[in-house]
Amino acid sequence: MVGEELAIGGPFLDADGMKALGAALAITVTGLASAWAEKEIGTAAIGAMAENEGLFGKGLILTVIPETIVIFGLVVALLINSA
Amino acid sequence: MSRPKEMTRAVIVGHKSILKDTIDSLHDTHLFHIEDFVEDESGFKISKPFKNAEEVSKKLVKIRSISNYLGIVKKEPVVQKTDSVLRDLDSKLDELDRAIATKTESIAQLENELKDLDSQKRELLPYLSINLDFDDYRGYESLKVFAGTIKGSLDGSQISSITKAYELYSDPQSKVVVLFVAKNDADRVYELLQSLGFRDLRVPERGGVPSELLRFIEQKEAEVTRKTESLRADIESLKVKYTDFILASDEVLSIESQKAELPLRIATSANTFIIEGWTPTENYDKVVSAVNSATNGKAYVTSLEIDEEEEEHVPVEYNNSKIAAPMQQIMDLYSRPKYTELDPSSVILITFPLMYGLILGDIGYAMILGAIALAIKKAVKSDAVKPLMDILIYCQVSTFIFGIIYGEFLGFSLASLHTAHGVVPGLIPGWETIVLFEGLGGEEFTFPVHRTHMVMTMIATTVIIGLLQLNLGFLLGFANISKHHGMKHAVLEKGSWLVIQLGVLVAAIGYLGGNSGLTYVGAGILVLGIVMLTMGEGIKGPIELPSLMGNALSYARIIAVGLSSIYIASTVNDIAFKMIWVDHSKISFLAVAAILVFILGHGLNSVLSIIAPGLHALRLQYVEFFGKFYEGGGRKYNPFGYIRKYTEE
Repeated sequence: MVGEELAIGGPFLDADGMKALGAALAITVTGLASAWAEKEIGTAAIGAMAENEGLFGKGLILTVIPETIVIFGLVVALLINSA
Repeated sequence: MSRPKEMTRAVIVGHKSILKDTIDSLHDTHLFHIEDFVEDESGFKISKPFKNAEEVSKKLVKIRSISNYLGIVKKEPVVQKTDSVLRDLDSKLDELDRAIATKTESIAQLENELKDLDSQKRELLPYLSINLDFDDYRGYESLKVFAGTIKGSLDGSQISSITKAYELYSDPQSKVVVLFVAKNDADRVYELLQSLGFRDLRVPERGGVPSELLRFIEQKEAEVTRKTESLRADIESLKVKYTDFILASDEVLSIESQKAELPLRIATSANTFIIEGWTPTENYDKVVSAVNSATNGKAYVTSLEIDEEEEEHVPVEYNNSKIAAPMQQIMDLYSRPKYTELDPSSVILITFPLMYGLILGDIGYAMILGAIALAIKKAVKSDAVKPLMDILIYCQVSTFIFGIIYGEFLGFSLASLHTAHGVVPGLIPGWETIVLFEGLGGEEFTFPVHRTHMVMTMIATTVIIGLLQLNLGFLLGFANISKHHGMKHAVLEKGSWLVIQLGVLVAAIGYLGGNSGLTYVGAGILVLGIVMLTMGEGIKGPIELPSLMGNALSYARIIAVGLSSIYIASTVNDIAFKMIWVDHSKISFLAVAAILVFILGHGLNSVLSIIAPGLHALRLQYVEFFGKFYEGGGRKYNPFGYIRKYTEE
């Protein structure tokens, strides 16, 4: 019944809506993935820095490596949006 | 592009009688990095510290503990002569030590006294409202005195049911009771009291009326506090008086102890010593003549060949111009270059601010942050802060230039823009956006570059900029390898990456241009490149191929982080301006709030504008760029000597 009403009133999400949702998913999921990975690395990096402060540079680099995931997500989101 | 300073390995040999002179002269030149001697089968041993070492370090410990206690901070140096400092050292140090010892001892005594007074005060406070002389509590033969607190309430009727012979004092507020009863009735009264939750209170031993005692104690407390304070003021004045002395003698003693302990780091036999180490080649002659003149030519100094294996462990001293020198901080944060490597400081002098400017690109923020950096550089004398501020200033210059290219000021667009929905006016009237050529995805490439309106084009542009920097990295790697492992290795390991990219480029042109012959040529070049790479790096080469795409795409963060900064800025602007123009006719409270929002919002974004573009630009250097050529792990050149601040010879 509800489905019928929706079908009469047009699709629940039209093509643009699906695109927006897809772009949002691309950003959200990759953002979460980056955050998760950085959390794990960052914790370890701070642990290592407590032992030896000279590791700051290496720790910083290792911590920001997963940032690339969300950048890819952003690129994909923009591609979806402009396609 | 520079290499680290060329180093010479030098050995100084001599009789032990000239060891001290040699060490003094080396210390004064401050140019000789001494290699610690490790005992081996050669028969040489490390020596013992000089005789004065123990005494010097004892004094040093004393000075530092005093300095710690007084809380001496480094300050504008008053330069003193070393000899005069050394001459007065013992007497002044003793004097200071004694003064501080007696003062701290009396402070400790006074503090104990204060604690004592406090506990006495606390003891008598419950009795304050009863106000009986404490001597009245004691010394009875037939009377029993109960003094304490109860939980419930006690009145005469309860006791008079047991005995009539009593006297009761109580304070209903603090629930303190003092009850005098005949000894015969004491047990029964005690039972009654216990049912009321009675707890004994100690009666102060000192006789006297509580209120008077309290006044007396408070007087005494004030007196003791005053005395302590005057002692502390004395110590403070000692600090002022002796700060220069403490700083200077700390320095002199540190130098003495460095010299006295050097024999622990060098090789000696029964009568001779050998000091081995490194000095920049340009300073070698200076070291030789300094040692010769100090020892009348009795020491033998010579330079040694450096073999290839040793080259990896040569201490590294940067060799950069004054302009590029601040970038050494960024290098040290990652890892100092090896002696055999190119030092990329002068390359990141360009690429790091370039990336930062590409990300931030805003005239307003460039001026705010540039002014802050200049002010901090002027205000703070610290050698650690100055290079960082220099780097920040370089970055702001680049941000300013890109601010003009992007036409942005605090998130506002400076030039007007014609879009499908009409004309968006800019801040500067009359500055029209010019369309240069067609961009990607139906966008137009314009001047000034409106980043928010040409995202796809900017992604492509930044990736291309990334590819350029990556290839610069391959070229530097090529130079590094060809110098040390020969041209063949360089071509196979680094040149192959260029061949691969060329192959992809040719194939893409062929494919897009519909020229299938060119596509096959490109594919052929690509395969050749992969084969070269496999020969150069083994199987791990082809496995790393996709990383090239990942690295290049990673540069898309330039536009991504830049957009986030723009959106924050323009959101702040939107909120502030909507608030100001709620009512056109008059300036209201909202207008003030709008100014506040504007200032706070842009303040926040300014801080973010150091952190986000800074970290991302840094990461692009460290991960993507350095990954292509840089190894790092060089040892720091740390010459034997001391940078004097408070003393001179």
